[in-house]
Amino acid sequence: MAWIDYAYWIALLPLIGFVLELFIGKYTYKRGGLFANLAILGSTIIALGTLMDVLGGARIDVSVPWFYDGIVVGYLIDPLAIVMLCMVSFVSLMIHLYALGYMEEDPDKSLYFAETSLFTCGMLGLVLSNNLLQLFIFWELVGLCSYLLIGFWWYKPEAAAAGKKAFLTTRVGDVLFLAGIILLYFNVSHLPEPLSFRYIFSFEVLETIPPAHLTAIALLFLGGAVGKSSQFPLHVWIPDAMEGPTTVSALIHAATMVTAGIYLVARTYPIFMASPNALVVVAVLGGFTALFAATLGLVVNDIKRVLAYSTISQLGYMLCMLGVGSIIGAFAVGYSLFHLISHAFFKALLFLCAGAVLHGLANARDLREMGGLLKKMPVTGIAMLIGALSLSGFPLTAGFFSKDRIIETAYEYGAATGNFLPWIFILVAALLTAIYTFRLWFMAFTGEPRSYLAEHAHEASKIMTTPLIVLATFALFFGLAQSRFYEFVGANFDSHLIEELAHLGGYHFHEAHAVPFIVMILPAICAIGGIGIAYGIWYNSRVDLSKYISKDNPIYKVLWNKYYLDYIFKDLIAERLFGFVALLAEAFDKYIIDGVVNAISWIVIKIGSVLRKVQTGVVETYATAVVIGVVLLIMLIGGVL
Amino acid sequence: MIPLEWYLALAAVLFSIGAYGILVERNGLKVLMCLEILLNAANINLVAFSRENLMGQEFALFSIAIAACEVAVGLALLIMLFRYMDTIDLETFNILRW
Repeated sequence: MAWIDYAYWIALLPLIGFVLELFIGKYTYKRGGLFANLAILGSTIIALGTLMDVLGGARIDVSVPWFYDGIVVGYLIDPLAIVMLCMVSFVSLMIHLYALGYMEEDPDKSLYFAETSLFTCGMLGLVLSNNLLQLFIFWELVGLCSYLLIGFWWYKPEAAAAGKKAFLTTRVGDVLFLAGIILLYFNVSHLPEPLSFRYIFSFEVLETIPPAHLTAIALLFLGGAVGKSSQFPLHVWIPDAMEGPTTVSALIHAATMVTAGIYLVARTYPIFMASPNALVVVAVLGGFTALFAATLGLVVNDIKRVLAYSTISQLGYMLCMLGVGSIIGAFAVGYSLFHLISHAFFKALLFLCAGAVLHGLANARDLREMGGLLKKMPVTGIAMLIGALSLSGFPLTAGFFSKDRIIETAYEYGAATGNFLPWIFILVAALLTAIYTFRLWFMAFTGEPRSYLAEHAHEASKIMTTPLIVLATFALFFGLAQSRFYEFVGANFDSHLIEELAHLGGYHFHEAHAVPFIVMILPAICAIGGIGIAYGIWYNSRVDLSKYISKDNPIYKVLWNKYYLDYIFKDLIAERLFGFVALLAEAFDKYIIDGVVNAISWIVIKIGSVLRKVQTGVVETYATAVVIGVVLLIMLIGGVL
Repeated sequence: MIPLEWYLALAAVLFSIGAYGILVERNGLKVLMCLEILLNAANINLVAFSRENLMGQEFALFSIAIAACEVAVGLALLIMLFRYMDTIDLETFNILRW
């Protein structure tokens, strides 16, 4: 009678919540929200109970046959899964509570809660899965829900377009992921339950797969992660996804959806470890995305989009950590997951604060229209300050510990392999993160109100501020758990296994060098320096930015246009390239496919028009035919013919 | 006793006359009459073959009854056609063809 035996209810409860909310939610207390909140509360309680079991050493991997030999459904609980489950259900619970206040006026409140409940179910199911096929199904469910929720206010054209964009962009990654699964399946199809994770964790199985295939599988999985976790170059959907309700943004960015990509890489880490070169790609891509997104965060004026770019950037850190982990082995998963979870706390906090600001300002999202909000909304302001400090990596907050560890490991990676690129990327990104985060905070909460709306802002209700306070506590103090966390999650994979696989992949582990003192404190310097720069520019106004912010400044122009990636994807690839292909396809369809069909019908019509002359409508003709026929028949039977 | 062949010959002659009439006549009424001749040719055959028992004659009686019904229906059709088209020339009744 341990909690762990009932762990599948963690994903089932939100599903039940979804059904109830969808069909009878409208008629319950305050037009919906009750079932979803209760369901997620239940999930959180079971997840925390299971965490206790897992801390006590319990593990479980159960499967039941599904429809075909070796295709199973089941669930797997190990340290990696359980920390994800606890984080997802807990953060989701906070966001659901907050949404009770935030979505109070919405006419489709029960529909909203039904969809978020399904969203949470998808993410929890994804984490619980014990085989790749089941994971992929939930992966798609998460994608579908993101489409529904981003386009929740479908009557706004931008929201509808953003939902479509998110769906299509992540679909590119999903296809790559599916290709990876298929390739893996071909290599392991002789095993009794081919896609179960326990084979991925087994040296004997991975040894039999050719290295080239391993690398291809790892890179295809990475492609899936890039789509879901919005890494370069598939990050373009996330800023537009801000058109959805703010609570949805918080769900997508903190608890569900984007962390799925990182989780996938962490879950299949043995494959990455065993495949030559894949982890180098992971490290450089992650680092590059961290820097790339941070530069974009500097120029946007939409409060939610700044946070969106910061999410892309922080996900880059996590991916980079997994990549540079090729020199330390199994513990890399622990380090990366620690940042993932502390990020979930402070990013959910930041989004919910932004939601409170929007709520107070009648949905004005432009930072230039805010200012001086700290006096009007003190709780939100302080909570957001805590979130911003944590995001910037200010010493002793949760974000500091997690980010510091990543930057240090990246340096060790550079020292060991000579590839300092990831370290430089994420170090600069850390500086930029502090700058744009505090640009946001100073612009929104300090100075004079810059618009009528900002003058008349008001604090959010109790039900909205309570989750803020809870999350702020975690964003501040979660760092205390770090060493325990590393031991717990770092031991998820057997370190001997990882070591053997590393030989297969050609990676060499290095003993931790004594990192120079200056390198150790560099992240903290970056954070404090960045905050200082932001303070100087946007609080004290020591630098006049107006002469830089113009369309004539080429750097500003490039950043403002998001490196023209939207242009490249939409105009060049989608319209020109695919337009040309579509033209060819249309011609083929019109002249060849349709041509064949039309030719057949033309022939039939011609033959018919000749043959119909037989039908004269004169009775005598028919009678003559009958008589001739009978005579012929008689002659045939009589043997004359 | 008259040999069977005579009956058959009579029936064959009647049948040929009836068939000829149906094939060449345009007047609906005449076509109906020719049809009756055809049926009677068949009846003669039935009676002619019924030498051992009377079953053939029973069939002939049935056939006559049915022929009466058929003529009634046929005449009714002709009357309706005449009311619509003012003629019973069968060549004009070809409006259902292409």
